[in-house]
Amino acid sequence: MSHELEQLRDTALGEISAAPDEQSLEAARVGYLGKSGSISVWGERMRGLSKEEKPIVGKLLNEARTAVAAAIEQRAAEFRASAETAALANIDITLPGQPAEIGGLHPLTQMLDRAISIFRRMGFALAEGPDVDTEWYCFDALNTAPDHPARNEQDTFYLPDGRLLRTHTSTVQIRTMMSAPPPIRVIAPGAAYRRDEVDATHSAQFHQIEGLYVDEKVSVADLKGTIEFFLRELLGQQTEIRFRPHYFPFTEPSFEFDVRSKAIKGGKWLELAGCGMVHPAVFEEVNRARGDDAYDPEKYTGFAFGLGMDRLAMLLFDIPDIRYFAQNDLRFLRQFA
Amino acid sequence: MKFSVNWLREFVDLPATTEALADLLTFAGVEIEGVEERGGNFDNVVVAQIRESVQHPNADRLSVCQVDDGSGTNRQIVCGAKNYKVGDKVPLAVPGAALPNGLKIKASKLRGVESQGMLCSPSELKVSEDSDGLLILGADAPIGAPFASLYQPDTILDVEITPNRPDLLSYFGLARETAALTSKSVKPVNVDANAAATGDGVTIRALRECPFYSARRIENVTVGPSPSWLRTKLEASGIRAINNIVDITNYVMLEVGQPLHAFDADKLDGAIDVRLATPGEKFLALDGKTYQLSERDLMIADQARAVAIGGVMGGEDTGVTNSTRNVLLEAAYFLPSSIRRTARTLNLPSDASYRFERGVDPGMTLRASARAAELIQQIAGGTPAAEISVAGAPLERPTDVSLRYERCNQLLGVTVGSQQVDSILQQFGLTRSSAGTADASVWSVPSHRRDLQREVDLIEEVVRAYGIDKIAPRHRSRFTPQSDADRAADLQSVLRQRLVALGLFEARTSALISRADASTSARGAVDLKNPLSEDHVALRPSLTAGLLDVLMRNQNMGASSIRLFELGRVFAPPDATERRSLGLLFSGETARAPHWRATAKRQLDFFDLKGAIEALRIPELGFRRAEHPAFALAAEITAAGEVIGLAGQLATERATQLGAAAPVFLAQIDLEPLCQSARSGCRYEEIDKYPAVSRDIAMIVPEALSHVEVEGVLAAANEPLVQSVRLFDLFSGREGSSVGSGKKSLAYTLTYRDKNRTLTGDEVTVVHTRIRERLKSELGAELRE
Repeated sequence: MSHELEQLRDTALGEISAAPDEQSLEAARVGYLGKSGSISVWGERMRGLSKEEKPIVGKLLNEARTAVAAAIEQRAAEFRASAETAALANIDITLPGQPAEIGGLHPLTQMLDRAISIFRRMGFALAEGPDVDTEWYCFDALNTAPDHPARNEQDTFYLPDGRLLRTHTSTVQIRTMMSAPPPIRVIAPGAAYRRDEVDATHSAQFHQIEGLYVDEKVSVADLKGTIEFFLRELLGQQTEIRFRPHYFPFTEPSFEFDVRSKAIKGGKWLELAGCGMVHPAVFEEVNRARGDDAYDPEKYTGFAFGLGMDRLAMLLFDIPDIRYFAQNDLRFLRQFA
Repeated sequence: MKFSVNWLREFVDLPATTEALADLLTFAGVEIEGVEERGGNFDNVVVAQIRESVQHPNADRLSVCQVDDGSGTNRQIVCGAKNYKVGDKVPLAVPGAALPNGLKIKASKLRGVESQGMLCSPSELKVSEDSDGLLILGADAPIGAPFASLYQPDTILDVEITPNRPDLLSYFGLARETAALTSKSVKPVNVDANAAATGDGVTIRALRECPFYSARRIENVTVGPSPSWLRTKLEASGIRAINNIVDITNYVMLEVGQPLHAFDADKLDGAIDVRLATPGEKFLALDGKTYQLSERDLMIADQARAVAIGGVMGGEDTGVTNSTRNVLLEAAYFLPSSIRRTARTLNLPSDASYRFERGVDPGMTLRASARAAELIQQIAGGTPAAEISVAGAPLERPTDVSLRYERCNQLLGVTVGSQQVDSILQQFGLTRSSAGTADASVWSVPSHRRDLQREVDLIEEVVRAYGIDKIAPRHRSRFTPQSDADRAADLQSVLRQRLVALGLFEARTSALISRADASTSARGAVDLKNPLSEDHVALRPSLTAGLLDVLMRNQNMGASSIRLFELGRVFAPPDATERRSLGLLFSGETARAPHWRATAKRQLDFFDLKGAIEALRIPELGFRRAEHPAFALAAEITAAGEVIGLAGQLATERATQLGAAAPVFLAQIDLEPLCQSARSGCRYEEIDKYPAVSRDIAMIVPEALSHVEVEGVLAAANEPLVQSVRLFDLFSGREGSSVGSGKKSLAYTLTYRDKNRTLTGDEVTVVHTRIRERLKSELGAELRE
């Protein structure tokens, strides 16, 4: 008898798993588990069994019923899943996605952000000063004599009141030293202006990052270490850097530095910026204006640098014309988004 | 300054290659900006003399020349140049020549006239950049001689000389520097300068502007073309040959750095009088132009009139010409700042003023005069007078400078031994005095190095020669607290990120604006005193003009959806007060291009702009209606009740003027209050645990009733269970519709919630009914079911 029941269960399971569609599955369900289904009728047959047989057959019957019901549900789930897949089969997933345009930062902003984040990791705080400044901040305090060649209406924009548009961000060196005693460790990103004819590499307004570190025993070695670390962070560890002596009125000794990097096309040495040790005459003038001896040139030394951001962005992003920055063509801006 | 390597080599042994020389100088701070090879293959180029020149029968601009090429028979050449005269010697390229500029010469007919070769310009032979006419050779050039015997191949260095190093503005000076850097010796310029000085013949009435002046008379000179070797050297250095006397003054200037001037002595009236110009004094200079001078300009005069603008340019009347017999040779020291001011005021830069304004070597003045006299004697004949007239006194020797070896090491961050320091300074011509100690030396500075004024200047000399590449980089940092500028930059960075996330692009426009843009600003703009172009005449008072320019550029380039912002400084009139400002501009479609799923297209409007401003999360942000002449629709933007900006739709008249294709929406926000207010920190609030109940209210109200008034009534109801109120539908009524004209329908969803329990429907109904009654009684709203 048990054998008979086991056989019935196996036949049922075979039929269910072979059911080709929902209709055949439903027919099988009715055939086995329906009111007069072949498993259900075993309930009636139980009555005629002996006391000994009843629990054994009853257990088998329950197991068979559960197994068959589970098999039917599993098969039904398979039919539902394939029906859903079939319903979505015609969707063309190669259609364009819903555009969710995010905007973009101007490439100069991106360049500034990259440079600033490196300097901040190196312990520089930000500093700032006005674009419109006085001759004292732009020239006198920076050891630039009244008859210095840079200091004239040919090269510098003046306002009718005698103030000028700063020709370099070095004004912020002075502003920072005027407002706080040493140590000073700042960078000052900002705009500067020169009275240049505008062409592919010259613009009346350009952008610099000025750097100033004044402390005890700051040396050319610190200057070199700072510039080299910054440039390798920006352009890659393989970047070659070289320093050349140069002349600026407000630093002594003064240097220019060149780089050669895989990050920049062409593989040539490129002149990048100027730097140097703060000229003691600058400290002396700051002390005079402060009315104290906070920047004692015997006690403190410092370095300063000025990096041209427009040129750096042009090199790094391979932009051929500085005028593109101010034109703000969306087709240009989108390339850097 | 351009230097011929051939000429430089006459003074000093040079490194084996040009590259090595360029590197040596560049890494010592004398930057070589360019290297140009001159000359090359001169096969089949010979010296020829022009015997005859007639007009070409068929071409106005050509001549037909008969030239003597040394073969005994004349050769016919068609020539387009005009700068020669019959008798001049010029380079002739005969058929078969391949010129350095790539031109291959063959016999040909030009406009029907046979030409058996070509007469060459300097640029065709690559001996200089001069392409204006033929290269006129010296009268001593042998006819028929190979051109290569006159012009050696040469290398021209373009050297950037920084303003602190006027001592390098000569061949001798650069050679002296090269010698110092390579521990070689420089060949001195030997001159016999033993003319006796006399005080007669020169007076100085402007001793500040001219501390020292000398004049040497040379009689019976023969003015004519310079010999080829002299012309070659001048031309290689970029100076055109004029006549032997002028050429010699230029030659000596190039050689030793002292500018000289030669007067025609017979055209001078008595002694030289060095004085300042009288106000408004007029002067006809060598360039043929008349200059008006001020009482600050230094003049060289005779007893009758001015004969030169001191150190800048000689006079037309007293210059050396072919008929000059006697010459007065000026060698002087002028005050650099005075020369610089005059040259700049008159816009008259010259090779002489360039050197004087940087400062010439006072120790070289009389030697240069003697050197020129010697050369004039050799080349133009003539007899220098036994006496030289002088007035004033040469500048005193520069002050001694001391150097502490420890300070040098500390500033450079490397230990340079004191012996090496001494040896470097000695190579540069400094002399250690006995006054020093073992720790600190005292140095006397040569007259040509007036830039060495203090200890740090000497340290720079040390590092130049020692080599900065030998200094190991050091990594040293310092903890720095956040500054106001850090806070402001971070705030701006957050604003930028929010706007970019909304899909806006950042523009950066110039702070300098055009006359036209400046004139559209209601408050005006601060003008520049000395603008360079019409595009940049004033400082922007707002970001609007720049953003509108960007709008138009992009619209003209076909952009259909334009959403931009700019963060930048603006300069408020009248005193150009600087403020950080944020500008926004919206115009065109909401989307760049139609999308396959998109519903109807929509144009950007005021509420797109307002939404972007709201997304900035400015604390206590508000908008209130305002009037503005440039805007058809304007709203003041407020933060905590203070006006911080303006937003609106540009008036159609202005938009049409610009050519805008769609309505233009603009906002400008002053960021200073935001930068100054401390950033409010965010704080956690408990997240709701119990479900909310939503009920809608639809009402018909007069068209003029604003949303904020409805909100005000709801807020004033002060119902603690009302968590939020959201407008979800709005439409205006029309004649005959259910709403009716002059009215509008508003629909709000009210969300009710209690923090501590689930609300029952009845509780909500009680509150909701109270609110409905309030809207009816306070606003006269007609509630819809």
